[in-house]
Amino acid sequence: MKIIDKIIHWARLKSPWIIHFNTGACNACDIEIIAALTPRYDLERFGVQLKGTPRHADVLVCSGPVTRQIKDRLQKIYCQMPEPKFVVAVGSCATSGAAFQDCYNVLGGIDQAIPVDAYIPGCPASPQAIIDGVVKLLKSLEASE
Amino acid sequence: MSDTEKAKHTLESKFDFLKDQVRVQRERRLWLEVPKDKFFDVFDFAVTRLGFNILGTITGLDDGADIGLIYHLFALDGRVLNLKTRIAKDKEPMKTITNYFPAGAIYEREIVDLLGAEFEGLPAGLSYPLPDGWPKGQHPLRKDWNIAMLDQANKENK
Amino acid sequence: MAENIGYPIGPGHQINEPSDFNFVPKSKDEMRIPIGPQHPALKEPESFSVALRGERIMGVDVKIGYNHRGIEKACEGRSFVQDVYLIERICGICSHTHSTCFVQAVEELAGLEVPKRGLYLRTLVAELERMHSHLLWLGVAGHEIGFDTLLMYSWRDRELVMDVLADLTGNRVNYGMNTIGGVRRDITKEQVENALKVIDKLEEQTKYYIQLGTEETTLIQRLSGVGVLSHDDAVRLGAVGPTARASKVDRDVRRDDPYAAYGDLTFKVVTDDHNDVYGRTLVRLGELMESYSMARQLLKNLPDGPIAVRAPRKVAAGEALSRYEAPRGEDVHYVKSNGSENPERVKVRAPTLANLQAVSKMLEDRYLADLPIVVAAIDPCFSCTDRSIAVADHGTLSWETVRQWGIDWYKQERGIDFTKIKWGKQ
Repeated sequence: MKIIDKIIHWARLKSPWIIHFNTGACNACDIEIIAALTPRYDLERFGVQLKGTPRHADVLVCSGPVTRQIKDRLQKIYCQMPEPKFVVAVGSCATSGAAFQDCYNVLGGIDQAIPVDAYIPGCPASPQAIIDGVVKLLKSLEASE
Repeated sequence: MSDTEKAKHTLESKFDFLKDQVRVQRERRLWLEVPKDKFFDVFDFAVTRLGFNILGTITGLDDGADIGLIYHLFALDGRVLNLKTRIAKDKEPMKTITNYFPAGAIYEREIVDLLGAEFEGLPAGLSYPLPDGWPKGQHPLRKDWNIAMLDQANKENK
Repeated sequence: MAENIGYPIGPGHQINEPSDFNFVPKSKDEMRIPIGPQHPALKEPESFSVALRGERIMGVDVKIGYNHRGIEKACEGRSFVQDVYLIERICGICSHTHSTCFVQAVEELAGLEVPKRGLYLRTLVAELERMHSHLLWLGVAGHEIGFDTLLMYSWRDRELVMDVLADLTGNRVNYGMNTIGGVRRDITKEQVENALKVIDKLEEQTKYYIQLGTEETTLIQRLSGVGVLSHDDAVRLGAVGPTARASKVDRDVRRDDPYAAYGDLTFKVVTDDHNDVYGRTLVRLGELMESYSMARQLLKNLPDGPIAVRAPRKVAAGEALSRYEAPRGEDVHYVKSNGSENPERVKVRAPTLANLQAVSKMLEDRYLADLPIVVAAIDPCFSCTDRSIAVADHGTLSWETVRQWGIDWYKQERGIDFTKIKWGKQ
């Protein structure tokens, strides 16, 4: 069993599959996330694949300040992901609400709705910062086991 | 006379209550305010005769006791006619312009949600842009509205 | 900040999703499927309720508002200078669009005249933004039709534009280039040379995409006849931008209502008469070539002089309307000031709102598989839009009729007979 656990753990770290969700952002961070998957920055060399459904994903990559309309859907998606799951908040909006902090339809950062494991600040977070954040998350998972 | 000046001249000669009321702020920009009862005559003339047959958007304003409505009409050559009127807040509805511009429904719905105006004849549809579950009677763009009122309304609804 | 809604999510946590969007079929003869707000096809949250008859779409209800952040209200509580940065963040792809449109309206109110060099730099960043946006669209369109290689190629080229933008303005997105009265940064001769080289390289690459678009049969077949919008419908439904220009609606704010430095430039407005997604692709590719030519004109004829004039903190009372040709279409900003440091009212009408009404018409009687590319073809930017709309309901069929229709179709088209298969209550 120990070896099986080790293999599963190794597989999870070597190929984290992500799902991307935009909770009301201006799109800059979303475009940078997709740019991180294109040839120049190439997040796919870390085994990261962009999936279409939360049920296939290990990591939820989220951008945007959570608007009231989308908060429930965000929580639903978080619940649909199988364990173990991690959440990465990309961009200043996802971290704290940034420029939209006192807007009436905005709740603040992603951690107002779901627990977050890693924060990547920036407006927008550049692809290099996103790669740095994802690698740091993977390293911390490696270290924790 | 530039085309903008010509349009001003035509409007003022067609409607005598508009004498000296049409303001040319700069090239291709006309500004005009008409009272609500005369609004549709001017609107119809501008859209069907003067060539301002593209609806840009409708802006709603909180003007104290009134809600101001500005209809931004564009002509093909780039001129813009900004036609403003007022309705008493919470007291009188405005007739819809979706018979001229079916695509204008969404601009009217925006004003319904954010300012609480009413448009007679607006076809039914999904509200925009406020989220589902937003309490009735809370109109964010009104000057006297702040977020504490929303929290209060939510508490009362619970 | 609003009250903490409550996390972590534990057992027994109730998620209520109140919605006036009903996914229960309106009658027992209808099949409705929900798409969104999270779906792999589009990068932004919006919800579609699609009424289907087999694979054919009979009607689409669109619900937007997921990106509504309350920016117009927030603008009233901030000063004009702060608003320049907030308005920039309405949208990440067309940030310069919104910032310029707003700043133009404020400059009209304050009676400022921006120096020539400032206008040229503003226009240069605007055209660079158009380039990056159209290349982005090309990639996204490729992704929607399953052509991921096109996504990778065009976004690789797009990185060259991002490099130039980062070089000139300091950031890849949300450039912060505008200030009331002009622009904030100047450019050096080396930056001009570098930008010209990049534009030459990009033009070569774009010629390859144009060749792909006009000669590659699978691409043409996939995009032709999809998302058809006739000229009259485009005019009636108020479509703007490349969506309208692909239906031969010859409107472009840069030519009709010139702003910034467009009065000094020579360029063509690209229109097409295919009326479908293929036409929109050709229009955008044509606009890319025009952008390269415009950017070259700007770089080669950059006048000397100051880049900005001083703007007063308090802006004179008045109102102004500003228009701008964003990569997606016409953007309209209305600003009203009351003599203080904060604006009285800021209204933004983004191009996608005008195009959304056309989407419902385009999807009528099409296949479900076309929905992602048709929506992507208007180049939607819901974050611009939100700070939708029912469609024709063509009548519904009973479940038995739908099933029989499916059986007949397969018999006719594929020679497979499903009549013997039992279902449900049988």
